Amino acid sequence: MTGLIIDRENCIGCGLCCKSCAVGALTLQNRKAVLGEGCTLCGICLQSCPKNALSIVKEDKAVFDLEDYKDIWVVCERNEQGELLPVSFELLGKAAELAKIRGCRLGAVLAGNADTESQAKQLIAAGADLVYLCEDKMFAERLEPPFYRLICDLIKQYQPEVVLFGATDFGRSVAPRVAARRRTGLTADCTVLEIDPITGLLQQTRPAFGGNLLATIICPNHRPQMATVRPGILAMPVLDFNRSGEVIACSVPQGLVQTLHLLQTEPAAVSTSIAEAEIIVVAGRGIGNAKNMKLIYELAELLGAAVGVSRPLVDAGWAEYRHQVGQTGFTVAPKLMLSFGVSGAIQHLAGISRSERIIAVNNDPQAPIFEISHYGLIADCVEVLKELIVALKNES
Amino acid sequence: MNSLIKPLNEQYSEYLRDESRTVGMADSISFPVNEAEIIRILAELYQSETPLTLQGARTGLAAAAVPFQGHVMNLSRMNKVIGCRRDETGRIYFTVQPGVVLSEFKKMIDKKQFATQGWDAASLQAYDAFTKASRQFFAPDPTEDSATIGGMTACNASGARTFLYGPIRNHISAIRMVLIDGRIVALRRGEVFAQGRQLSLPLQNKDTLELNLPTYRMPQTKSASGYYIEDNMDAIDLMIGSDGTLGVITAIELVLMEHPKVIWGVSCFFDHEDVAVQFTMQLRSQVQHLAAMEAFDADALELLRQQKRQSSAFARLPDVPESYHYCIYTELHCEDAAEALLQLQQIGAVLQQCGGSKEHTWVARTEADLTKLQFFRHAVPESANMLIDRRKQNYPMITKLGTDMSVPDEKLTEVVALYRKGLRENQLQSAVWGHIGNNHLHVNILPRNEEDYQKGKALYQDWAAQVCRMGGAVAAEHGVGKLKTKMLLTMYGPQHIAEMAALKKVFDPKNLLGNGNLFVTEGGK
Amino acid sequence: MKIVVCIKQVPSSNEVRLDPVTKTILRDGNQSVINPFDTYALEQAIELKEQLGGEVSVISMGIPATERLLRDAMSRGADRAVLLSDRAFAGADTLATSYALSLGIRQLGDFDLILCGRMAIDGDTAQIGPELAEHLAIPHLTNVEKIIDITQQEMTVRRNIDGQRQLLQVKLPALLTIAKDINQPRMPSISGVEFGEVAPFQSLNAAALQADVSRCGLNGSPTQVVRTSVPLRDNACAFFEGSLAEQVQALAAQIKEELK
Repeated sequence: MTGLIIDRENCIGCGLCCKSCAVGALTLQNRKAVLGEGCTLCGICLQSCPKNALSIVKEDKAVFDLEDYKDIWVVCERNEQGELLPVSFELLGKAAELAKIRGCRLGAVLAGNADTESQAKQLIAAGADLVYLCEDKMFAERLEPPFYRLICDLIKQYQPEVVLFGATDFGRSVAPRVAARRRTGLTADCTVLEIDPITGLLQQTRPAFGGNLLATIICPNHRPQMATVRPGILAMPVLDFNRSGEVIACSVPQGLVQTLHLLQTEPAAVSTSIAEAEIIVVAGRGIGNAKNMKLIYELAELLGAAVGVSRPLVDAGWAEYRHQVGQTGFTVAPKLMLSFGVSGAIQHLAGISRSERIIAVNNDPQAPIFEISHYGLIADCVEVLKELIVALKNES
Repeated sequence: MNSLIKPLNEQYSEYLRDESRTVGMADSISFPVNEAEIIRILAELYQSETPLTLQGARTGLAAAAVPFQGHVMNLSRMNKVIGCRRDETGRIYFTVQPGVVLSEFKKMIDKKQFATQGWDAASLQAYDAFTKASRQFFAPDPTEDSATIGGMTACNASGARTFLYGPIRNHISAIRMVLIDGRIVALRRGEVFAQGRQLSLPLQNKDTLELNLPTYRMPQTKSASGYYIEDNMDAIDLMIGSDGTLGVITAIELVLMEHPKVIWGVSCFFDHEDVAVQFTMQLRSQVQHLAAMEAFDADALELLRQQKRQSSAFARLPDVPESYHYCIYTELHCEDAAEALLQLQQIGAVLQQCGGSKEHTWVARTEADLTKLQFFRHAVPESANMLIDRRKQNYPMITKLGTDMSVPDEKLTEVVALYRKGLRENQLQSAVWGHIGNNHLHVNILPRNEEDYQKGKALYQDWAAQVCRMGGAVAAEHGVGKLKTKMLLTMYGPQHIAEMAALKKVFDPKNLLGNGNLFVTEGGK
Repeated sequence: MKIVVCIKQVPSSNEVRLDPVTKTILRDGNQSVINPFDTYALEQAIELKEQLGGEVSVISMGIPATERLLRDAMSRGADRAVLLSDRAFAGADTLATSYALSLGIRQLGDFDLILCGRMAIDGDTAQIGPELAEHLAIPHLTNVEKIIDITQQEMTVRRNIDGQRQLLQVKLPALLTIAKDINQPRMPSISGVEFGEVAPFQSLNAAALQADVSRCGLNGSPTQVVRTSVPLRDNACAFFEGSLAEQVQALAAQIKEELK
């Protein structure tokens, strides 16, 4: 029997599972939960039940003999200049911990058109016990086919139990191709990894529903367990060049048919629109006059930030419309927003609410901007600007 | 001076203006958070005979919220929803303070998430029923949903859906108002009526205000021009649309409706205005129960195209093909998709009858598409504003010149011809959009220089006189405020204006409140 | 030109709340919509059809109610639609989903191009495109921003991969995942809506696809979710304290922390 099972004995008819179902597949009949049409087996209802009366049962005819699979691998990635990406080291650092817990070895996979031998030394210093190396001109460009073919060949030959990739665009394009070919599971964009020492089961946690939920995923019966991991989350390991490891030269994938042809590359255009900015310094009415905008620009330059203003400043002619942030201006979602003298009219808040981090300075503790800020400073914003600029200049 | 009254210095200078771009003057400002604070502030102002102007979110277009002297009382911090009620038929009511912002209120209703701390038991019980009821909505939908409920009440706000559901007046069941002298009026719809044109208005302290209502007849069109006056009228209607001249509204009870199960938006495009106007007249007589009927002329569509080219903030505006010269937007509110499909087919049939095309239409059935069309509709006035703002930098005396006049149904073709003739003869640049279903078009004159501006103002006055002759209203939804007092005079004549002033004097003998709104009296600007 | 567009039905919003009393996860009950990323793929397909002639088919794996969304796609310009629907498909992860889709696409006959949205807003794995291409043994490209040129044998496209713009030629048949915001998904006209109501629509179950049910649905999914939780988020604003100088120091430190 496969699917969602309701334990009628334990079900108390509270209806919480019905509320948590997005497709309305659960209803109450005679004070017991009943499953109707449309269940997608998403599993969200499982933890809504206070009596654990819900479970999902599956029949898994596994074709993998788990005993045959050993070792944890990290597929390393290089940028267009051939340099190793930081995420590869972040992954090696984490994977080394996992390998230690599991009591297995850590392997690194590296393919490139040049310099791979010297890079292999860095990978060993970062914790790799083995480096599977393939150097050939077919890896000169960032095109997926030679990479996924190589990785599939290596997995077939060496049978690792875990294979990790950085969740770069490239990694997220290569990894699923490999997973589909090997008929195994792949979890995307993980932020947390844990491993069970006995079973070797990897617990992969990732954000879901646009980041509103965290889901923990396992791949119990298929190997290797594959995951792409978000760059910048894991810590960089300390390199130890005294470590030793083995370098295994791997043969080039055979019989590759050329289906992709790279004509030209260029770095992506740097956007100048404030809507794309990662850091924004926003000025509101509280800065007092047009002259004080100078301070805003100075701070922005120090931080490499874009300059935004609330609408009254554009109306007053202190800044151009292209800087206007808010409902009638630009909607922005920067990593960091520093807001000076903005009271937080609803139209302004509408344009900034998806900022990751908002720090607001205003001398009015009741200013609505503080309702959506993460950090606040209650003081005259011009004074703060002057002092902050000095403080930041002193640090650098 | 009590601490609630603050001097109006540099940091509050944005409170001297509203969306009409008029800039005023004032000496002091307050931000009361409850009725008790309002009474304290009024006591001081009344004693010192300081004129005061009331404000909500300052989104008004007629400068009603712009002070020219004295004190500004801003109600935006009085923004709580304070109670809930359910009647025998199951209709849901919420009582709100005047500073509640419409967009926030709509969100609370949609998500069924209200802050209920401090509500009494009856409210909590009614709220519980609300959370279990089918999806509800608040029908009035002014384009500017960052307006406050108080402001909307003061100008009897309307929106696109007023075509079907009426203005906010139809959705207000109770009002509480504090008079300038601190006495309180609390009215519930259906309780106090005028006898003919005599109204005995009971106050909370058992006093009565004896009112001789003005003797004019309101036009039979959409109107927000002066006080709402009718034989045997319900007293509560006097408060709605009173433009901040009778008292400070401190609580409004609003009634919700069941949200239509299905909403579709349909934009129909034409190559000529005449065809579009014909279509409008045919459509409203042949297809029942349409929720809105909006128009956008060729110049308005061109404004959008330009805006899209110039500003990345408008990148998500749909592309409007160059061959589209007029847009009529209509909206279907139905019980189910089958009903909507039938209405859509009816619209298609009328289109073909008028020589339009079923291909040159956009049908929005998903949230994403409805939002796109909404953005499109909002972007038109935004673009016009931005154009004016840019021109203002070279010609500071220019402001928006948008008409807000409506005429009876049978005068639609005549008034459109009137507008076109005036614009052509004066060689003025313009963009026209609005609630064509109610014969209520906003003709926005876009002055290129001072000369255009003066011609435009004169033309506007001329049109006001013509519109009145057609039996129309000079202020159909924005209210009269300070900017249209002359037009109101044209519409009703000096005798009726004097009647209005006399009525106000009963509420506000020293003429302190909302000076300059609706009509000009001594002591005002 | 025969183009297939893959469409997924998703909830219209990702808003999930933690009920403070029961500590359970509540989804705001809302309508299902076409995954917004897929709308760019659909628009791209219709534009190509207008340019070169041919046919656009839309395919989706989902519950029977997904028919409404497929008819919506046809109202916008797709010519026919196939729904893969069977209890056996429920609970599928990306491997099982891409397997079923590959069978459905094979049933449609020959194709030149498959277009997918870059990712789905609920799963956000971005895995279906590449996995599907692997099952069909055709080349794939992710995050395509622009189609420059196309003939019966190959196409030239521009894609963005980790900040690098690549101009590539790919042999057809191929699969592309389409980047967000590269075009303006069109709304249907009244004629389009009328067409969508009567347009050719097929629903296929596992048997009709001759699917290996052990590779479908929950049973065919190597991965499974064992736990779902709400990330801890503290919404209260933390105010800096102390003298102005102390507060500014703390502010500078916080800024440095955020920019790490």
